[in-house]
Order: sequence, then structure tokens, then C-alpha cells
Amino acid sequence: MSTLAPAIATEARKAVTSRVLRWTTGLLITAVLALVAGILAAKNLDEPQLTAKLGPFVELEGWPALLGVAAQITAAGVMPALGIGLSWIIGREFAEGTITGLFALPVPRQGIALAKLVIYAAWVLAVAILLTAALLILGLVLGYGAPDAHEWGALARHIPLTVLVALTAVPAAWAATLGRGLLPGIATTIGLLVIAQVMAFTDAGAWFPLVTPALWAIDPAAVSGAQLALVPSIPLAFGALTLAAWHRLQLDR
Amino acid sequence: MKLLLGMLRPTAGEVMLDGSRINTLPASAWAGVGHVIEHPLAYSDLTTRQNLLLAARLRMLPADTAAAAVATAIDELGLTAYAEVRARRLSAGNRQRVGLASALQHRPRVIVLDEPTSTLDPAGVLLLRDALHARAVEGAAILVSSHHLDEVARIADRITLLNAGRVVGPLDPTAGDLERTFFDRILTDDQQREAR
Repeated sequence: MSTLAPAIATEARKAVTSRVLRWTTGLLITAVLALVAGILAAKNLDEPQLTAKLGPFVELEGWPALLGVAAQITAAGVMPALGIGLSWIIGREFAEGTITGLFALPVPRQGIALAKLVIYAAWVLAVAILLTAALLILGLVLGYGAPDAHEWGALARHIPLTVLVALTAVPAAWAATLGRGLLPGIATTIGLLVIAQVMAFTDAGAWFPLVTPALWAIDPAAVSGAQLALVPSIPLAFGALTLAAWHRLQLDR
Repeated sequence: MKLLLGMLRPTAGEVMLDGSRINTLPASAWAGVGHVIEHPLAYSDLTTRQNLLLAARLRMLPADTAAAAVATAIDELGLTAYAEVRARRLSAGNRQRVGLASALQHRPRVIVLDEPTSTLDPAGVLLLRDALHARAVEGAAILVSSHHLDEVARIADRITLLNAGRVVGPLDPTAGDLERTFFDRILTDDQQREAR
């Protein structure tokens, strides 16, 4: 643990001063809010194609409509942005050439990789809280009034939903390490999204951890606790692979 | 250099540091090593001082001595005017100075520098020469790679010629016309390798 503290402190310093993460956070929240507001406005146009895409949410009004639409957008759209952020946290060291400075240190490289994953988790939590607060403000601005107890619950559920979605992006860290840069991580993130979208249409979708958060977002009752509990298997497995890859890393290409 | 610092694993032979194989060294042993290979450890969003404090933290320098070590390194490498400037706004030469400061500030006993003067201005070269001389007097082992033979001759006790990844032989740093000797030896080695 004694070497993990400086690793986390230095990674935290890099993240806090990072323009990339600040801009990603701001653009992500702005984009989700704009999409939610746009869909809520378009919902009243009775456009058949849009109605079909909205599914059960088209019948809803007020807070339930806002939170339903926001959950669907978060499940499908937030993962790529967070995955790209994670690809940058890992891949920047290779792209900027600073990886050579992370060798021959008393802080082991796998400790630095673990610190990067810890900082990613902290960033994701911050994004989740900010996004949820922004949705609350959007609902108030749209004149929905103060949420009732049930709506507060649905609003609060947006935080674990964002975190669960973010956990499924951790394979991007492994890909960015193996590919020595940002692009392999970004490509993997997009690949994960495509796989999740395809698997969502199968009967066993809820048992597939990449899809579980999205299905949980649409209908919490349709996903069991056991299925949700499988989601952390992705960050655990690919987090371990990332640490092993950093431990064994050679600058041979 | 990459083998010595653990960036590559040898296909044959072994790398020793203080008599121990580097793959069995305790991590803490690396606190006595400083290096710059290819790129300086300088993150574009951080200022010179923040970058050096970050490097000090990664070298496990105690917090109460890190700030003083960073201030000394900033002064030693002539970075005072750029101490609060973000690395993205620094010239390549000043970024290299930041990298060199981070490699030297913790008073390492083993120093490995890959082409350290390649982007430095003349003033930076003189500052580095003084810094390396001071470390050598303190007892540090210093390994520097360079194509600038005049520069190498001024700071080196021993020069080893490398060509195509293999040792060609030693070169006497006190001998005259080093540049010519260097070219002759490398050319001869090239011709011998082609003849084989």
C-alpha cells in the first residue's frame, strides 16, 4: 500500500489538471441534457418513427418521461464517452512518450495502472453525480416541480446506472495497453457498444454483463440481482489483465 | 539503456544493479536511479514545478524534502522563469530541461541519459555539463549516449563506440581529433560487417 499512495496522488494530480477529462465531462453532460430535452420536446410531435424508438416512454409525462429517456441515453451513449476517457488515461502515456519515465521507479508499474483505474472510478462517480444533478435541474427548469419519493428514487438510480455502464468500458484499458496508444482503446469501446446493442436483442441479454446495465435502465424489474451482480466481473477480469500487462510491459515496439 | 532500466528483457545474459539482478530487485532500489529515455517525463497540463513534484513523489522522496529538492533542481537547470509555466507552453529544449531535472533532483547514484543534449540550447548544455560533473564528484555512475563527440569528450571518463547495436570498442576521450577517429572507426566497422 505504501507505493500505491504516491501512484494515486500523482494520477489524481494529472486527472484534476487534465483539459481532456474536463472537456469530456462538460461535453458529455451537455450532450445528454440536450438529447433528453430534445426528445421530450419531440415526443409531443406524434412522429411515428420517434414514437417507435421511445418505446414505453412515449406514454409517460413529467419526471418519469425525463428519467426514462435519460436512462436510455445514458445506457447507450455515456459508455463510449467514458471508455474514450479511460483510453486516454491509459493510452496518453504511450502517445506522449511519458511511458519511459514510468519505468525504473520505486512505484511499480502495475501500481500506476491500478491508480489509473482508481482515478477512472473516481472520475466516473463524479460524472454520475454531476449528470444526475444536471437532470434534476433540467426537470425543475422544464416545470415538473419537486420530484416525489418514487421519482427521487428513480433519479438517484441514475448514479449506479452511470457507474455500471462505466464498468463495462474497462476492457478499453487493456486494449490501450496492448495497442500502446489511445486508438486501440477507443476502437474497443466502440466494439463493446456494438456487441452490447446486438446482445440486447437476444433472450439471454440480461445475463450478458455488457448489456445488463442498459436493460436495467429501461426496466429495473426485468433484471435480477444476480444478473446485476455479474456486471463487476468485466472490470475485475479486464482490470486484472491490465495490471498484468503493465507488470509485463516491454517497450519493444 | 532500455535493458538496464527494465524496459526490455534480455534474450541472453543478465542486467545487474548493485550486484543484484534487476528482475529480482526490490522496487525501492529504483529510488537511487534517474533516467531520461527518448521523451522527458513532462505532462503538458502540469507546470514545471508540478511535473517535478510529481516525479519526486514517484521516486518516493519524502514530502518535506521534495519541495526543496524541486526548488534546487529548478535553479540548477535554469528553469526559474518557467517554474509556473505549463509544459505544453515550453520549448522542446525547456521540456528536456524539466525531464533532466526530474532525473537528477533526487540525487540518484545511477544516472542514465539518452541523447540528453539533442534538443538543448548552448546554455542548457553547459548547465547539464555542470550538473553531471557535480553528480560524478558525489560518486554517481553516469551513462550517457550521444552523437556529439565534442560534448561527450568534455564530460566522459570512458567512451564506448556502438554501431548497429554492437560495441565497436573504446575511444580515448583525451585523444585529439575525436570526430575523425569516430567516423573512421564506424566506417571501418560498416565495411567489415558488409564483407562478412
